[in-house]
Amino acid sequence: MFDTVLIANRGEIALRVVRTCRDMGITSVVVHSGVDADSAAAQAADRRINIGPADPRRSYLYAPAVIEAARLTGAQAVHPGYGFLSEDPDFATICAENGLVFVGPAAEVMARLGDKSTARRMMADAGLPVVPGSREPVGTADEAAEVARRIGYPLIVKAVAGGGGRGMAVVRDAGALLPTFRATRASAQAAFGDNRVYMEQYLYGARHIEIQVLADGHGNVVHLGERDCSVQRRHQKLVEESPAPELPPGLADRLAGYAVAGCRAAGYRGAGTFEFLVRGAEAAFIEVNSRIQVEHPVTEMVTGIDIVREQLRIAAGEPLGFDQDRVERRGASVECRINAEDPARDFAPCPGTLTGFRAPGGPFVRVDTHAFPGAQARPEYDSLLAKVVTWGQDRDQALARMRRALGELRVEGPGVHTTAGLLADVLDDPDFCAGRHDTTLLDRRAAS
Amino acid sequence: MTGADQQGPAATLAALHAALDRVLHDAPRPPTHVVVRSGGESIELTWSAAVAPPPVPEAAPPAPVEAERQPAASDGHLVRAPLVGTFYAAPEPGAPPFVAVGDLVEAGQQVAIIEAMKLMNPIEADRAGRVTAVLIKNGEGVGYDEPLFELDCDGQG
Repeated sequence: MFDTVLIANRGEIALRVVRTCRDMGITSVVVHSGVDADSAAAQAADRRINIGPADPRRSYLYAPAVIEAARLTGAQAVHPGYGFLSEDPDFATICAENGLVFVGPAAEVMARLGDKSTARRMMADAGLPVVPGSREPVGTADEAAEVARRIGYPLIVKAVAGGGGRGMAVVRDAGALLPTFRATRASAQAAFGDNRVYMEQYLYGARHIEIQVLADGHGNVVHLGERDCSVQRRHQKLVEESPAPELPPGLADRLAGYAVAGCRAAGYRGAGTFEFLVRGAEAAFIEVNSRIQVEHPVTEMVTGIDIVREQLRIAAGEPLGFDQDRVERRGASVECRINAEDPARDFAPCPGTLTGFRAPGGPFVRVDTHAFPGAQARPEYDSLLAKVVTWGQDRDQALARMRRALGELRVEGPGVHTTAGLLADVLDDPDFCAGRHDTTLLDRRAAS
Repeated sequence: MTGADQQGPAATLAALHAALDRVLHDAPRPPTHVVVRSGGESIELTWSAAVAPPPVPEAAPPAPVEAERQPAASDGHLVRAPLVGTFYAAPEPGAPPFVAVGDLVEAGQQVAIIEAMKLMNPIEADRAGRVTAVLIKNGEGVGYDEPLFELDCDGQG
């Protein structure tokens, strides 16, 4: 096992990795930007090192500074968390060239899966169902019109290099196709430095179901069950839970089988997530996330498996310590993402100083947060302040505990609004309570 | 210092000296001017911007790249690290350092090297002034924005 791991991230996920490092007796080094010097993660780590200014392009996204920090601190491995450099195959390559273990899949595997169009093709070849769409990136208006004729409307135009809900747009009729196609290409170029897009049929009213997998370097692949992440706004998740409620019989097992097969086909190593759209008993693969996910705690709560620990063990070359038969899932877990955003202003980010912050607690409540009184919600970074996670023997109990937890949560600061109130409303939505919700839930609530 | 003197001038002077000892012990650097009076009691100390380098701590941390390494409070201008890496005070091993305490430097003059990703990055003074302290040892790791040198820029900036 590694002596020292460098954590190339910030906020709650950096703190989350620091904690598992401490559990495992590994020295943790957190890199931070100048404005994060007093962050919870920097304070909790065994060591910290300033790698650049607030602008993430000159700090958290600047590979040379991260690598140099690892060299100076004697780290043997780099845990990238999520976002930033976590799915950048070039960064994984640079780590390897500098004798550092990148905690994640091999660079070439990440590159193939990160190209969403290639990933679709690879998974279709491995026998996974995919949504009807373009097999190759769509480069011209004529090609776009041809694909649209074949798959019909509504359709979705997605950036090949996209992810995290960014770089995609829904087209509802032929009149909107070309403007949307061109705009998505332009925004993909701006956001990802890659203007390639592909097109898929848009499954309106589908559920977002994903499978957590772990694969070691010895040919062992296990899945840790599914998560339902259907409560979304602008393709970004707000509430996640495991298991997924009210799935047709056998569907969860079928999705898990697809994920394990996809993992083997890709030569995947590490923790990963296979995402599917589900409508009725139909399911279709959409993409693989080759990193730890924000919503991993709900899986940890029902399986008792520390996914970050498994990531580190796999990266260190150790075999998985259990096979599929040993993965037991108990009860139900829900996560609510508390973002510094104002739902009343179309989820506009609300940076500012937290004059007050009180995390909920009590039985079967877990809060992953980097917030504290006096902390800052910075405009340069993601708006996630806290993840409130509850466990119950069944879904109703987990939801009741979540209602209690959200009631206890206090986030105060001039101009700071959060998603907490909206999430409390979602927890009382009849469709959500019955497990009948899909990805249109928030849009439908907003419209009414 | 106030308070009626019940013990006579000698005791007052002793008390003033004791107070002076305490202030000097706690001060980050020596004063340039000290006044001790006895009749009517007094103790006055003056520090200027031009200072000697702060004393080097006896036990330096092994690889002080963390934010815990705080320089002594300074009223001089600090030349800071523009990137994370290894600090070199001289152009090559065995060579004299680019600058030493007491040297006058011009804005834009090279004062150090920071090695990062096997690249030697020249570090330049951003202002003119006299070097009053070199805050990092040769070969030590530095974080971004960490103070490297202290300059007295009075009349030089």
